[in-house]
Amino acid sequence: MSNILEINHLSKTFGKNLVLKDIDFSVSHGSVISIIGASGSGKSTLLRCINLLETPTSGEILYHGDNIQSRNFNLTSYRGKVGMVFQSFNLFANMTVLENCIIGQCKVLGKGRKEAEEMARMYLDKVGMAPYINAKPRQISGGQKQRVAIARALAMEPELLLFDEPTSALDPQMVGEVLSVMRALAGEGLTMLVVTHEMAFARDVSSRVVFMKDGVICEEGEPDQIFNNPQKPETRDFLSRFRNG
Amino acid sequence: MWATIQTQILAGLEGLKVGDMDFFQKILYLIAEYGPSYMRGAGSTLVIALVSTIIGCLIGLGVGIIQTIPLSKKDSILKKVIVYLCRAVMAVYVEVFRGTPMMVQAMFIYFGIPVVFGLFLPLWPTAFLVVSINTGAYMAETVRGGILSIDPGQTEGAKAIGMNHVQTMMNIILPQTLRNIMPQIGNNLIINIKDTCVLSVISVSELFLAHTKVAGAMYTFFESATITMVIYLTMTLVLSRLLRWMEKKMDGNDSYDLATTDTLAHTTGLYSYPGKGSNFDERHTEQSQDSNLLEDEMPKKSKKGREN
Repeated sequence: MSNILEINHLSKTFGKNLVLKDIDFSVSHGSVISIIGASGSGKSTLLRCINLLETPTSGEILYHGDNIQSRNFNLTSYRGKVGMVFQSFNLFANMTVLENCIIGQCKVLGKGRKEAEEMARMYLDKVGMAPYINAKPRQISGGQKQRVAIARALAMEPELLLFDEPTSALDPQMVGEVLSVMRALAGEGLTMLVVTHEMAFARDVSSRVVFMKDGVICEEGEPDQIFNNPQKPETRDFLSRFRNG
Repeated sequence: MWATIQTQILAGLEGLKVGDMDFFQKILYLIAEYGPSYMRGAGSTLVIALVSTIIGCLIGLGVGIIQTIPLSKKDSILKKVIVYLCRAVMAVYVEVFRGTPMMVQAMFIYFGIPVVFGLFLPLWPTAFLVVSINTGAYMAETVRGGILSIDPGQTEGAKAIGMNHVQTMMNIILPQTLRNIMPQIGNNLIINIKDTCVLSVISVSELFLAHTKVAGAMYTFFESATITMVIYLTMTLVLSRLLRWMEKKMDGNDSYDLATTDTLAHTTGLYSYPGKGSNFDERHTEQSQDSNLLEDEMPKKSKKGREN
């Protein structure tokens, strides 16, 4: 298994606030990695650094061995290859569901309208949103929006998909809708990096779990090991509520 | 038609001196005598206001867009210098034209520039120029605010699928900005309709100048002002309704059609309809069976379903 991403000594500060401290981390092809941890532990910042929505303060991120921060790195095509699903959906409000899934393919991948539309319909069908292609984002529910957002990311045929707390803004039923889509994707072998508070998802679906605390990777391992036999007291502490409840 | 109205009004007022007429008679008299010149004035006002608002909006759009260009450390020094220079020039432009009266600007450009620079600008271009750059100065801030008001999440969403700044602006941010600033564009249009009256100081023959001429010639200030106000009010009312209607149009439909799986399969090319009349054409046979009952309804319905 080859590494898609390799992160070396990544740090990020906001002002004087050190959010990420010397993160080392890699993502191999076909793996599903869950990042868990308390709010403010730097999980989302790590994900946003990977997509360069935040500029890392120091350290390097290698995509198939190329530093994504170097001047001649093609960031646009990289972002086409590394999709992202946000907590707040971030659909384009002026476009229909279908157009949301088409625009990136046409503008970034340079596909023809017809080809892009077929692709968009296929992925919307996959997430169960095919009937809603004519709806505007404001007309559909949160869970539906998130599924459209997933279809939008998938339509770019990414190599790696980043999920930034995709279910945190949803009610329990909608969480179920979205998680089942994500489970199906994981089953198909899509490489995923998921920041989540859904411990059951992390335990059952991921191939690796990363526990973060205060901007460092505290513990990392197989889900079975992290959830049933955590080595660090911090991990045990964080998971105690989930395991008892 | 105008001629007959005119002669009828004048016939009704025959034998009366202007000084002896009452309020309404004076108004009727002014309409009959000066109606066309009021209308010409109103026409000029409308043209100046409309064209200048459009040009002003374009200026504002340009300034607003340049002011919101994001700069990162990665950008070349040349780009940074150009952007900062543009922003400085634009900041001066906005402050100067927002901060001085349009009347003074009009006089300054029309009378001042020929004296100082020896560059004479004809009357009408001056009129359009003054109102346009004024509107532009106000619209610049409106556009900037409109761009900033769009949820930054959408920009991130666009970035995350690899769209660059220009693509994001053109396809996502600006269409929404334009919709959001429509009320302010309407405001500006209405303000412009009224404020073109200050152009009378450089003798642009708009509605207010028409009024001053009539009022001065006939000593009928109050009556003429009434007519003028009614015309202004009509123009602004009609335009504000028109803008509301445009906003509604831009919002699009409140409801949406669910696409059925049938049309989906059809459009993705996974399913081709059997030929009409062939053995597999179930729909057609159903249709012909029911045709006695639903002759009018069925074909319409099925056709609609296919279009969706």
